[in-house]
Amino acid sequence: MKKRRKYFIIPIIILLVFFVCDNIFGGVTIPVKKIFLALFSGPDTALPQTEHSFIKDIICNFRLPKATTALLAGVGLSLCGIQMQTLFRNPLADPYILGVSASSGLGVAIFVMGGSALGINLNSAAFQTFGIAGAAMAGAILLLLLILALSERLKDNLSLLIFGVMISSIASALINLLQYASSESALKMYVVWTLGSFSGLKSGQLLILALLLVAGIALSVYNIKDLNAIMLGEQYANAAGINTKRIKVRIIVATTLLAGGITAFCGPIGFIGIAVPHIARLIYKDADHRVLVPASAILGGGMMLIADTLSQLPGSGSVIPINTMAALLGIPVIFAIIIKNRA
Amino acid sequence: MERKLEIRSLELKVGSGRESRVIFSGIDAVAEKSQFIALVGANGKGKSTLLKTISGILPKYGDGEILFAGKPLEEYLTRERSEIFSFVGAGSPRARHLSVRGLMSINRYYKTNWLGTIKAEDMQQISKALEMVSLPGFEERDSSVLSDGEYQRVTIAAAIAQDTECIILDEPTAFLDIANRFLITKLLRDIAHKSGKCVIFSTHDLQSALQMCDKIWVMACDGFYDDTPRQLMEHDVFNKIFDRQEIVFDKVTRSFETTNDRQ
Repeated sequence: MKKRRKYFIIPIIILLVFFVCDNIFGGVTIPVKKIFLALFSGPDTALPQTEHSFIKDIICNFRLPKATTALLAGVGLSLCGIQMQTLFRNPLADPYILGVSASSGLGVAIFVMGGSALGINLNSAAFQTFGIAGAAMAGAILLLLLILALSERLKDNLSLLIFGVMISSIASALINLLQYASSESALKMYVVWTLGSFSGLKSGQLLILALLLVAGIALSVYNIKDLNAIMLGEQYANAAGINTKRIKVRIIVATTLLAGGITAFCGPIGFIGIAVPHIARLIYKDADHRVLVPASAILGGGMMLIADTLSQLPGSGSVIPINTMAALLGIPVIFAIIIKNRA
Repeated sequence: MERKLEIRSLELKVGSGRESRVIFSGIDAVAEKSQFIALVGANGKGKSTLLKTISGILPKYGDGEILFAGKPLEEYLTRERSEIFSFVGAGSPRARHLSVRGLMSINRYYKTNWLGTIKAEDMQQISKALEMVSLPGFEERDSSVLSDGEYQRVTIAAAIAQDTECIILDEPTAFLDIANRFLITKLLRDIAHKSGKCVIFSTHDLQSALQMCDKIWVMACDGFYDDTPRQLMEHDVFNKIFDRQEIVFDKVTRSFETTNDRQ
């Protein structure tokens, strides 16, 4: 295991490289040297005043917040994925399996489409800054409260899994109903949110997101021992004298904070959360969550930064949705690792 | 107070609310230090339910009481209970890439810090337990690729490493061949007699139970019996295990046969 821990160095380097790349590429490509000059020195002959402030503005107000959001989202979704897969002992479990994405989506749909029906100005600054994120977070929190209220009745993990799937189905049905009755502009706003994006987050939004994610990540780290304990199922953990009810609640709260926060501010970003834990298991060949949790966090952050950098289509001036890029990038990686592992 | 397990007029229930039903009642039994006890009974009688109830995995039961050292089981904290009972379930699940040490560490978690870091003392217990089940040096092996017999031994070693006063096992020999069945049963008897632990296990292998156990708990059609193999045979208890008259127990061969075989 100690040997495998050395393998953390390469993913960390990749993560850092792509964090820088995410700041370099975009509508305008900015060389690393100019980024450092703009951020850490005043205007001089090497970087004239206009270019200095232009680059500083782009980096500080757009690219740095976007790269930070991508990093945090990648870390958060991967941590959700590993926790859900371990809790349900199901390799297909993803961050949204409890219905977080669907309930957040329903919150947004009610807010956007309902707001439109009530004649609220969808383009107002307040609406766009906190309205959508607030509605999504409200949806996720309501789901969390519902699960916690029903936790005594949802005795086993299978019941919880079925509950999550049912919530997703109900929410999808209600969203369809709202879409059918909504205006074109509201529908467009909702669809754009579902495509996922890390850009356009204001500093206030980023702060709220960061607080939610830091809390979720801290709780996920605290859950490491619990995750190891329930890896062989609830009965084994119970027999070893571990309170599985408490464990389940902690994992659900961590997942809701992470997946709910990310969905609220960035949209329902798929694929990374389900794929990265598998990549971590295949690379590190260890079931110990003291290895898998940090590995998933680092690989998830790195993969999301790669996806975000590539989604800028460097040199083309166009951008493709992050959800599309995450899937296009991740699926070949999974196939490659599985084939190599089987050979 | 003697540290023994006492079960008094226990009623076993399954299901909850309106769907709950009593599956067995009137269980009176005692298990003491160093005793090796087999639990036998027909399928569906509630052997697993009884063992899980004793070990605290199924905390709710009907009437009656379960006492350890004179104190009702429900008055023990989860942590305290994990120092008294360890449980090995039937067909324990496996996890890919989980080392034997990693698996056995779970049974030591009640003694570890928030991250589950095991100390030198825990490592020693794990190595000692693996030696007891004749798997020395297996610590770093991947538990998911072990044979069924080896994996069963590892789960038993994990229960030993938990260092409890009672080890409870639900059909530990169910998936094993004849040789492994015999070796595991002998191993459990040695653990009970040499380390002073009380070992209770459910089985359908009555011959081994008669040959090796100090006591047998029988979940029969007309009630629960707790006695030595000799006494149970003298009182013809084994003929009451199955609710079928054509199946009879032969005291000479110590096995079941049908009435047709006898004729």
